Formats: sequence, structure tokens, C-alpha cells
Amino acid sequence: MSDTVATAPRRNASGFTMARIVFDWGPPALTFVIVAVLWQLVAINNPYVLPTLDAIGNSLASDPGMYWANLLVTCQEVVIGAGAGIICGFLLAVAMSELPIVEKAVMPLIVVIMVTPVVAIAPALVVAFGFGMLPKYIVTGLVVFFPMLVNSLAGLRDVDQKALDVFKTLHASRWEIFRDLRLPGCMPFVFAGLRIAMPLAVVGAAVAEFVAAGQQAGLGSLVTIAAAQANLPVTWASIALLCLLGVLLVSLLALLRKRILWWSDEDVIGR
Amino acid sequence: MPAVSHLQSAPAAYPDEIGVEVSNVTKSFGGDTSRVTVLNGVSLTIKKGEFVSLIGPSGCGKSTLLKLVAGLSEANGGSVSINGKSVREAAKDKAIGLVPQSPALLPWRTILDNVSLPISINPGANAGRKLRDPKEILQSFGLGHALDRYPAQLSGGMQQRAAIARAFVFDPEILLMDEPFSALDEMNRDQQRMGLLDFWQSNRKSVLFVTHSVPEAIILSDRIVLMASHPGRIAEIIDVDLPRPRNEALYASDAFRDLEGYVRSALRKVMEAARV
Ligand SMILES: Nc1ncnc2c1ncn2[C@@H]1O[C@H](COP(=O)(O)OP(=O)(O)O)[C@@H](O)[C@H]1O
Ligand SMILES: [Mg+2]
Repeated sequence: MSDTVATAPRRNASGFTMARIVFDWGPPALTFVIVAVLWQLVAINNPYVLPTLDAIGNSLASDPGMYWANLLVTCQEVVIGAGAGIICGFLLAVAMSELPIVEKAVMPLIVVIMVTPVVAIAPALVVAFGFGMLPKYIVTGLVVFFPMLVNSLAGLRDVDQKALDVFKTLHASRWEIFRDLRLPGCMPFVFAGLRIAMPLAVVGAAVAEFVAAGQQAGLGSLVTIAAAQANLPVTWASIALLCLLGVLLVSLLALLRKRILWWSDEDVIGR
Repeated sequence: MPAVSHLQSAPAAYPDEIGVEVSNVTKSFGGDTSRVTVLNGVSLTIKKGEFVSLIGPSGCGKSTLLKLVAGLSEANGGSVSINGKSVREAAKDKAIGLVPQSPALLPWRTILDNVSLPISINPGANAGRKLRDPKEILQSFGLGHALDRYPAQLSGGMQQRAAIARAFVFDPEILLMDEPFSALDEMNRDQQRMGLLDFWQSNRKSVLFVTHSVPEAIILSDRIVLMASHPGRIAEIIDVDLPRPRNEALYASDAFRDLEGYVRSALRKVMEAARV
């Protein structure tokens, strides 16, 4: 047949050779090396500005249990707070796309909350809910809520009109249209929202901990306490762990995306 | 669960039973100040098992008419009925198969699952109909090897064939196709239209087929409805008295050429009249 299947993604042998690895990983690795060298130079000459990398490493190695405990607290805030924010944002988007009255009623309030700086809300929440975990969950949830809501809503609205026509001529119910068309179709947008929300979740958790520092552990608290004591190695070790947490979340998301959303990646499917 | 029937040659056209009746339909768009009449007094009947093509200048309202018959938009005046029922009732019974201009397959479903979709949607309407086996229908459209592939892995022509298989699979009484081959290159178009011709000739349904290709309209149709624009209306209905079953050989016949010449000149007249 003349119109045979488009060529599948080609994994040619050279894709896994040494040269390929060097080409793919070399440039970013070089950047990191340069930054590390510059860092060391600054740190050695200005001990009150930056700690040396080995001082940071020593600090991490000397008290891993303490760092681990604080990392777990921050993780907990991210998982529970951001999890709730993501679910609420998505569900509200579904409600808004299915019932225009909901959008009309709620959107103005959403906009007002959205323009309020979360950093300013955090202390107020601490006053209201105390130094426990709840205000931290709320702040973390709030920062991920908006990108999830906005992206999910855009995705639910962005249906293929021609496919929708096919569903309508079949007299599909709203539930069938949602289940078989809108929901799977909105996933690329949901993942775009998650890609924004994940790093923000770490920011939210850290900000909440700044405000309520000292009471409950957490990497954000650790940063404020150590900085107040001018303990640079602990400060920067905590920052490094926050950064690592963000990288981990984004990588997990990329893995999940590859599993769920392979169909929207043309380079994966090979057009 | 109704039995899934095997592909079988359908009965020939039921000569005089009416499938689709469009009577005196009017459709306009826009607000009070900038109202544009897109269809004005359009009447048309399609018999059961009859293949009718709509041809006319672009923007004359072909897609608009098709959407009215599909129940995707409402006429401002006149009426449309399918097998004597309202379009709404017909849609409830899953009597309408739609092939849009783009294949509109769901990229996250395999070809087989895409073609099975109309069976799983609105399953209440499946009772007492001859559902086809999605695998067999794909095989008869030459896609037997591609069942487990995803749309993005197929060429445009294959995707469009899958979209046509999707419209036939639940055995609707009327098929509506809006320029289904217009996005394909000429070689592919011809192959696809022959595929549709073969399939339809052994599974005759009422078809309303929008096209802008004169040879395509002639080779496929029993009648060609020529539309004029501003406002959209029927200029002429041309009978295609060429014997069936048809195949490529028909393109070379004198009867085909004569008719093609006639349709082209009629089309030209409509276009010129619009320009004045
Ligand atoms: N939803 C709509 N709103 C306003 N105008 C429309 C709409 N749909 C179609 N039209 C207008 O109606 C006319 C006919 O359109 P269409 O039926 O798509 O033409 P064709 O399919 O024959 O090319 C065009 O002038 C188009 O701009
Ligand atoms: Mg059109």
C-alpha cells in the first residue's frame, strides 16, 4: 500500500554510544563545574558571604538525621498541602467548565485571592491557625491552586470541536463527553499546570515555614534559624535540600507525564 | 447486548422510501444589525440508500446545511426530518453517522478503540441494530494491520479511513460527510474515494456528501445538488445516471466526461452569477 505507516521513532545504534552521552550531558555538566569553581573562589575569599562547598557537605554529613527529619516535614507539607490544592483546583475547574454559573459566581473571588500575595497571607494564617501544620498546608495549597485551576479550565475548554460534533451526533451524555473526550483531552494542560505548581509548592512550604519558624521543624525554618545565627553551612545545606526536593518533584512529574501523556508527545510517538 | 453482525452485502436501495427530508430550511447568523442569511428556502430529499453530493462555491452554506441535518445547529425556519422523525429523535436513536472534515480521532485511543467508540457511546440505542465488528470493518477498510496503532502513527489517508469506519460501525441510517478527503493529496484522495465507493456499494446507506471535486461527486453519487451562494440555495439538482457498481474505469467513459463537462459548466454559471 502506498500510504504505509509513518516511520516509527528511529533508535539508531549511535543513540547510545559514548559520543552521544558526552554530547547530551557534557554541556550542562560543564556549566555546573564552572559555577562550582566560581562559588568556591568567592567562598574562600569571602567567608562571610558564602560557605565553601565542602563546608556544606560536611554539615550535611555531620548531622544527616537532623536534615532528614526537617526534609520529611517539608515533604509532608508539599504532599498534603499541594495535593489538596491540586485536587481542589482541578475539581473547581471541572465544576466551572460544566456549570457556567459556578464560574460566574466564583471567578471574581478567585481573582481577588489570586492577586493577594501569599507571603502576606501566611502570617495571618499563623495567627488564625497557630504554629501547627495547618497554616502550612493552606499556604502550600493556595500557591498550587491557581495554576491548576487556570490550566485545567483551559484544557477542559480546549476540546477538538470536530470530535465533539461526532459525540453530539451520537447523542452522547454530558458524562460520556466528559469521560471520553474532555477529561483525557485536558491532560496536556493539567500537566502544564502541574509543571508550574510543583516548584511553587516547595516555595509555598518554605514561605510558610519562614513565618512560623522555630515551632515546627522544616527546611524553611532551618534556613531562617541558621541564617539568624549566621550559620552559613547549615543555611546553604538547607537551601540545597529544598532545591533537591524541587528537582525531585519535577523529575517525578516528567516520568509520570511520559507514562500518561505519551500520546501528546509527537517526538515520542514518531509522526 | 445485541449480536455483532458480520459484514454482509446490504440490500440495494429501497427505491422510494425517504431517508432525509429537508424542507424550506432557512438559516442565518449574526445579531439584529448584522444578520446574514446563509441558507434560504432549501428543500431536498434523500432516499434510503441514496448517495447525494453537495457541491458549490466555498462559503455557500454546504457545511451549514450538513450541520442542520446532523442536529448540530438549529434552523431558523423550515424543518429537517430523518426517517420521518425529528433530527433530535434520530440522534437519540444513533441514526446519524458523521465524518467531519478532519478525522477527529481521539489521539489517546488505538484505531480499534476509536472505531469502537460509537458502540460504547449512548449504548441504550444499540438495542435491535446490526452493530458491526470494529475489527472486521477496519479490515475491510484495509486497516487490519493497524488495529493497535495510535492515530498519530498513521498517515492522513489512513486516519480518514478510520474516521469513515467509525461512522459506519454502528450501522447508522444516514451518513453525513463534510469534504472528508479534502486534506489529502490527489493520489490519496482517489484511493480513498474508491475505497468509500466499494464499501458503500456493498453497504448502502443514505449519504449526504459535501465535496468541491466534480469527478468525486460524479463517481460516488446518485444525485448532485449544486448550490449557489448569497444566500445559499439550491441552484440545480443533477441526476447521475451512470450504472452501478462503478469503478475507476468509469472515469474514462464518454458518459462520465459528458456529465463532468455539464456539471463544470453549471458550476461556472453559478460562480459567475455570484460575481455580478
Ligand atoms: N457559526 C457561524 N457564525 C457566523 N457565520 C457563519 C457560521 N457558520 C458559517 N457561517 C457563515 O456562513 C457561510 C457558509 O458557511 P459554510 O456552510 O461553512 O460554507 P461552505 O461549507 O459551503 O464552504 C459563510 O459565509 C460563513 O462565514
Ligand atoms: Mg464547508
